[in-house]
Amino acid sequence: MQDTTIILQILWTSLATSTYYVLFAVAFALVLKVTRLFNFAQAGVMTIAFYTAFVLVQWLEWPAWAAFIVMMVVTLAASYALERIGFEALRRRGVSVMFVFVFTFMVSEFVAYVAMLIFGTWPQTIFPTIFWPVTLVGEIALSGWDLPAMGTTIAALAAFFAFMRFTRTGQFMVGVADNPGLAELYGIDKRQIFLVTMLIAGAFVGLGMFLYGTRAQVLPQTALSLMLFAIVATIIGGIGNVAGAAVAAVILGIVQNASILVIPSEWQGFLLYIFLFFAIVFFPNGLKLPRRRTRFGTATRNTPPAGDASPEAQA
Amino acid sequence: MNRFDRRAGMKITAAACLALALGGPASAQNVLRFGLAMPLTGSQALYGQDQVKAAEWAVAEINKAGGVNGKKLEMVVLDTQGDPQLGIQAVNRLVSVEKVPVFITAWSGVVKAVAPIANDNKVVELSVGANSPDIAKLGDYVYTTFPLADIDLTAVAKYAAATMGKKKAAIVYINNETGIVAADVYKRDFSAAGGQIVAIETYDQKATDFTGPLLKVRAANPDMIHLQGLVSDTPQVIAQMRQLGLNQPISSYSVAYNPKLIQQIGPAAEGVIATSLAPGVDDSEAVKAYVARWTKEVGREPNGLPYTQYLYDAPYLVAAVLKSLDDKKMPITGENFRKEMLAIKSFELPLTGKTTLGEDHTVVKPVYLMEVKGGRWTHKATVGK
Repeated sequence: MQDTTIILQILWTSLATSTYYVLFAVAFALVLKVTRLFNFAQAGVMTIAFYTAFVLVQWLEWPAWAAFIVMMVVTLAASYALERIGFEALRRRGVSVMFVFVFTFMVSEFVAYVAMLIFGTWPQTIFPTIFWPVTLVGEIALSGWDLPAMGTTIAALAAFFAFMRFTRTGQFMVGVADNPGLAELYGIDKRQIFLVTMLIAGAFVGLGMFLYGTRAQVLPQTALSLMLFAIVATIIGGIGNVAGAAVAAVILGIVQNASILVIPSEWQGFLLYIFLFFAIVFFPNGLKLPRRRTRFGTATRNTPPAGDASPEAQA
Repeated sequence: MNRFDRRAGMKITAAACLALALGGPASAQNVLRFGLAMPLTGSQALYGQDQVKAAEWAVAEINKAGGVNGKKLEMVVLDTQGDPQLGIQAVNRLVSVEKVPVFITAWSGVVKAVAPIANDNKVVELSVGANSPDIAKLGDYVYTTFPLADIDLTAVAKYAAATMGKKKAAIVYINNETGIVAADVYKRDFSAAGGQIVAIETYDQKATDFTGPLLKVRAANPDMIHLQGLVSDTPQVIAQMRQLGLNQPISSYSVAYNPKLIQQIGPAAEGVIATSLAPGVDDSEAVKAYVARWTKEVGREPNGLPYTQYLYDAPYLVAAVLKSLDDKKMPITGENFRKEMLAIKSFELPLTGKTTLGEDHTVVKPVYLMEVKGGRWTHKATVGK
């Protein structure tokens, strides 16, 4: 039946394309949860990640695996620099949330502008081709990109949640996220935890941009657009809820794509803004999932919105 | 700079001023000047610099061939960065300081922003490369040598229905001003030529997946699909069409006509038809030689080849008008330039062929339909010769 085929195709493609959105959302939500910063500079790191891979593969003709490794190193270095030179200095000075917000935007715009000067405004991809071979399963088209992307994303998320649950550093991150002041009293080095958080977020961003850049074209401003989705997913998933942001990113992707079956296609893009509007107005703390006994996935406390973060938390 | 250097510098400057003062008036009589305001820096420089280079080559060729009645043609080049504000500054200088009778510029935002300066000062503005339909309505002194937006869409829609015999077409377009207007034009012209539009689907500018709209197109089972996207999304949409089993011929417009499309989507590009508003290397020996020169001297093809062809031709148009004014011993002013340009009306230009300036401030040019065949762009037809 044609309708079933359409629904299944949309469902499959949405799941596949939600992979990079999930990674961006998790990175954004994680930094927000632990450091309580709306890190819009993530778009700048995303831009650095993509163009590093692009230069290595397209200009220097490196093999993909080597380019991926170096791209991850560069992305982590950018995240390190952002934390140590940027956020740490701002925390030391005790600046307001609004100032940090402006700083992160400025970093993203600056990186985008530099990328524009170097690479121009012609869209680029990591590999010369973005056409992936297709396998038909029944009447459903599975692109050669889909399964590796989904597998890599699932593996990365599994590793992350295992890290959070079973390692000492992961437990410390939960502690700092829950109560930074108390965590410090227990001897946890907040400065180190913030750095680890930024590096993990950088790794997600690097992986996400590699996946995105092998499937779609990228312009210097693309990362800023991609960030919007991550922000919406973070808000809907519940600020401070990393797993919620990941789930929200998948659901948003499916709902947005499937919406075309019931609404005209020109409204499809608008849907994201409607979600954002309703989330901010009616669910400022996100859609609450039933509480579990996990210490990280679902919030075990009501995390205050960033605007309510105490100066102590920002310090 | 030390004292000696300063003195040496001052002497050189004084000597240069003296030379200019003595030689200036005599030289000015033998020099005919015009302006060129283009992006030389900033994000648009990638294209702007190549277009300026093309115009510089043309000026050099004109002067090598004896100039304009023995007088040297001189082009004053200023940077706009493709930014309207900087464009206003550049054009103000061209008009007030350089006193040119005509200047060439591009990028729709700049063309529109500087139009009042051209009209107020009675200096001719030639838009070469911008294609917003509004350009035809910017005033008495603003003309274009580049075809405006809908000419190629009309050509491709009529060709699909009348020549290719396609009866049912679907339109997929990006949800922005360009896409919406283009979808209307294609729908109007394809229907007028006897075809039927069976699906019109759009996608968001930020979309990275197009499955939904494309599946709706697939359900409508068209004979032909017209895609109106941007350079950033067009390859991905076509790739996804092919992946979803949409193997019909796909038409698009000038953004699709670039070698990168074939490189990026390989076999999925086969059968894609795009438009070019300038003849390609297969159509003209002059274009072939021009592209060969780029490859030899610069080591690559120019960015946005058709645009550089128009920029190469623009100084020839300016030179033709200036020659006519000089022949008639008329003062070289913006007013006279405009009158003479409209009197000549038709120009035979080296890289884009015959150019006829319309009464309505538009330009009539043929549309070249290009098709991907065997992994390369090939000439399919020329419409409106």
